[in-house]
Amino acid sequence: MTMRRLLLGLAGMLTVAPAFAQQPAVPGWAVGRPEGSTLAPHAPRLTATPLEQVPVGALRLPPGFHAEVFAHGIPGARMMAEGPNGTIFAGTRAIGRVYAISRNPDGTTRTRVIAQGLSQPNGLVVIGNNLYVLAVNRVLRYDNIEANLDNVPAPVELTQAFGLPTDADHGGNHSWKFASLGPDGRIYTNVGVNCNICETDRDRFALLVSFLPDGSGRRIEARGVRNSVGMAHHPVTRELWATNNGRDWAGNDWPDDTLHRVRRSGEDHGFPFCSSGSADPQFNAGRNCSEFVQPAARLGPHVAALGMRFYTGTMFPEAYRNQIFIARRGSWNRERLTGYDVVVAHLDAQGAVTRIEEFMTGLRDDANQRFLDRPVDVHVMRDGSLLVSGEQMGAIYRITYRQ
Amino acid sequence: MRLRRLLAAAVLAAAFAQPGMAQDAARGAPIAADRCAACHGADGRSQMPDIPSLAGQQAGFVTLQMILIREGIRHVPAMADVTRGMPDQDIEDLAAYFASLPPAPPEDRRPRDATLAAAGEALIGPRRCGVCHLPALTGRDQIPRIVAQHETYLARAMMEYRDGHRVGADTQMNGAMVGLSDADIAALAHYLAHRD
Repeated sequence: MTMRRLLLGLAGMLTVAPAFAQQPAVPGWAVGRPEGSTLAPHAPRLTATPLEQVPVGALRLPPGFHAEVFAHGIPGARMMAEGPNGTIFAGTRAIGRVYAISRNPDGTTRTRVIAQGLSQPNGLVVIGNNLYVLAVNRVLRYDNIEANLDNVPAPVELTQAFGLPTDADHGGNHSWKFASLGPDGRIYTNVGVNCNICETDRDRFALLVSFLPDGSGRRIEARGVRNSVGMAHHPVTRELWATNNGRDWAGNDWPDDTLHRVRRSGEDHGFPFCSSGSADPQFNAGRNCSEFVQPAARLGPHVAALGMRFYTGTMFPEAYRNQIFIARRGSWNRERLTGYDVVVAHLDAQGAVTRIEEFMTGLRDDANQRFLDRPVDVHVMRDGSLLVSGEQMGAIYRITYRQ
Repeated sequence: MRLRRLLAAAVLAAAFAQPGMAQDAARGAPIAADRCAACHGADGRSQMPDIPSLAGQQAGFVTLQMILIREGIRHVPAMADVTRGMPDQDIEDLAAYFASLPPAPPEDRRPRDATLAAAGEALIGPRRCGVCHLPALTGRDQIPRIVAQHETYLARAMMEYRDGHRVGADTQMNGAMVGLSDADIAALAHYLAHRD
């Protein structure tokens, strides 16, 4: 309703002032977009992909690692969270569903749709026996969910308590959420920027924020983070780390997507003035980038670095312990494809990133400039295996290690 | 008309004869005759100004929209009944069938108004329509062909995007429509309807 009023208001202004109507201002999403470009978001696949078309055979991993299909036929599967009884919940964006994937005794899986018709239910977090679903500004709590998978009761509505900006407030830009449970029991999430790049209310958008589970106690964890769709707390230092998506339409190789380390709540990470450590060509506003927190690592231009987790299991070699696995969904705002893989950010004893290592590749076909799937999230299972969600093919891969 | 459809179906049946194909236009043809033709036309060319023609439409677009309608994300009451419980395979086959039909302008297209068409054409560049719909505005994958479509339908679709009543897989179209007046949209719709 607010958006409609706003849009009608805008339309009205333009009608009154026909000079503007003939030359409409460039909308925020299109700032910097060259007129001759034909780069557009890739088509999603929202229909079930048969098992024989899931490209598990194309996956390339370091020696000793093995990939299998954990579950398939889950169109649009993205962010994952695990219940206390081992149910894997998966959120989506366009298709509006939340899935529950449970393991049968014979190792096969069973997938149920436990919610549908939601607007981009991408943010999931499990606290105790309850599943929280963050769908743009809606926050829904499904109590005792694993005992009720076949007959899901109406969720508890927490939308008002959280008071997140609506999709209209976002102008449709970066309104979907990632959610994570902090070691302090708080829910950590993102409020993405309400444009591609623009001057904006920096207390309201381009933030990492946290809440108490009832929606009270909002706290800004980091300012000037354009849009984070992946966060996790370091298992030892308990510091918050987050991935971030850089702006579009500023060239093929700038800015990088970034990894951020939040040492103290509320510090400024620089967007829109600076991205990946250097000045924005249009929105720098004379700011010196050294006054902001620098990214912990640069993750590549337009790669769409999304879900990330610290590896806390024991199945993988010791070198991976407490290192960060990051899913890079893959580029669209770039002439040649980048990403479409899972990388590992290796940290030294001080928590500085020493290198970014390719871990799961094979989904990007450079010769033909096409891709086979788009990894969106990673999840460490209790047995130490790693799940990777493939949004394009609606599949979840499971990676194991054996010496 | 009927003969052409039969021939098209026969050719496609030959091309898509392998079992297990993801999208099967020949399989989609009888489903379309049963479920879609009454409104969208026997040959995918709608006779109703407010109902889009689907002949030659991008298969990815038709698939995506039917999924969004089936899932209750895009609200089209008349389509909700048609898509309820429809399997993914049927939707993909229908989309392949409509994509296989030759596109053509509506038979009842009203005369071209040169001034209105020029006003519409003048908005195509600034609104960056060709970035996603491609310079010919014939679309690709999930992005639809928007030329030679029913003018009334085009205008309604653009107003729904502008006013936040319709979303796609993303909100690109909502953003692209921000600030357009009813008159702008009428001009765009007229220009697009007359561009072949």
